[in-house]
Amino acid sequence: MKYLIIILSIFALFLGVQPQANAQTNNDKDQFSVKVDGLGCPFCAYGLEKKFKELKGIKKVAIEMETGMMTFEYPTDKSLSIERVAQQVEAAGYTPVSVEVARTDGTIESSQSEVIEEHIEESALVEARFFVAGNCGMCKARIEKAANGVAGVTVAEWDKESKELFVTFDSSLVQQEEIEAAIAKSGHDTTTSKAEEETYKNLPGCCQYERVP
Amino acid sequence: MTTFIKPIWGLFVCILLLSACQSNKEWTYLKTIDLADSTPIGLTAYQGNIWIADGDHNRLVELDKEGNIKNKLEGWERPMHLDSDAQTLYIPEYGSDKIIQWNNGQKSFMSITDSLDAPAGISVYKNEKAIADFYNHRILYFNGTKWISFGKEGKAQGDLYYPTDVQITTSKIYVADAYNNRVQVFDKTGKALQVIGQTERMNAATGIYVSNKQVFVTDFENDRVLIYDLEGNLQQSINQGLNKPTDLLIIEKELYIANYKGKNLMVYQR
Repeated sequence: MKYLIIILSIFALFLGVQPQANAQTNNDKDQFSVKVDGLGCPFCAYGLEKKFKELKGIKKVAIEMETGMMTFEYPTDKSLSIERVAQQVEAAGYTPVSVEVARTDGTIESSQSEVIEEHIEESALVEARFFVAGNCGMCKARIEKAANGVAGVTVAEWDKESKELFVTFDSSLVQQEEIEAAIAKSGHDTTTSKAEEETYKNLPGCCQYERVP
Repeated sequence: MTTFIKPIWGLFVCILLLSACQSNKEWTYLKTIDLADSTPIGLTAYQGNIWIADGDHNRLVELDKEGNIKNKLEGWERPMHLDSDAQTLYIPEYGSDKIIQWNNGQKSFMSITDSLDAPAGISVYKNEKAIADFYNHRILYFNGTKWISFGKEGKAQGDLYYPTDVQITTSKIYVADAYNNRVQVFDKTGKALQVIGQTERMNAATGIYVSNKQVFVTDFENDRVLIYDLEGNLQQSINQGLNKPTDLLIIEKELYIANYKGKNLMVYQR
């Protein structure tokens, strides 16, 4: 009986390992998951999916509208980096929140880094509201990401109706003009900083707001 | 003689008043058809039922007139603004760049002499067909004999900027010029005739429907439907219950609105 159990255990182990070994030899594609912010307009979101499909080597792109999650496969031997994927999403006018890749060797890479809490003196914190041109949920994601990307900014919330951005920032580290410049660099006009024409043109159709004169 | 004329004159005045009242009558809310987990982008009436393109879930949903879901057909590649005639359901697939013809369960591809880049809408009228070719910023139109193309990327009259829907009428072609935030009207040679909706500050004019008296437009980001007369004068704005509307259709004098984020159809009557 003892021997029977050992033999069955070995057999079961063999059965359990075998498919995995086959899967490893057959699967030569890394699995990417990209969380994209502000996917409100289906025409633009499906466009992102479509444009990714057209890139050489990318197969089976799918976007889940409810979650904003885009998934696709890419050949392992091409060594596509998560930074390159994030750049590609941004170049298409969208805002990547996170990029994760499951490599065929079993490793997982993620773009999400540990959040380091900044200690800011209360007295240095300044609140401001200013106009930022934009149209939709995708604009909101892009504007807030651009503002939050500036060192010293602690809060950035853009309102689609009023077109106002509310920010709090450490005035010892950054000034409002620098925040506005960063936002303009992402493609959105403010009253004092204008986006480059080329950057504006690269925004998705739904984000093509009326330019500030 | 006057005894005959007086009643006839009175009847004539009554008819005039009635027709004036009818044309000025506003659309009012009737009911909501819940679509559960479906997000409608396009809709059409086909063989007595309502068909919905659920782009998010790559499927078509068939409803009866009471709003009961009869069927869900899976496996499409981002189906968009549909149209139909007596025999065929026409499905523009944004993801595959194809127009699928669905005829009693049989699929075939529409033969087009040019390549599409994200077809977002189709209209069929007698033997004419028009396609809103989203990324090419143009309309492809088959006049019964040959395909022509009109529109190019831009903001001027006659230019298009990401068109999402189109409708052929007796003598004109109406285009939802989505990200120019307007409706454009062309003749059947592609000559730009009219711009509608520029003063309403629309934010993504994603869907249109044209009746014999009115032009209906979905103003996607502003969560409303705007209704114009054929001259382009605004007659009514509907926003009750709307959350990112994408398409419209009149079936038996009732206005159906595809309420994308609301996951339902809003029905209005007059």
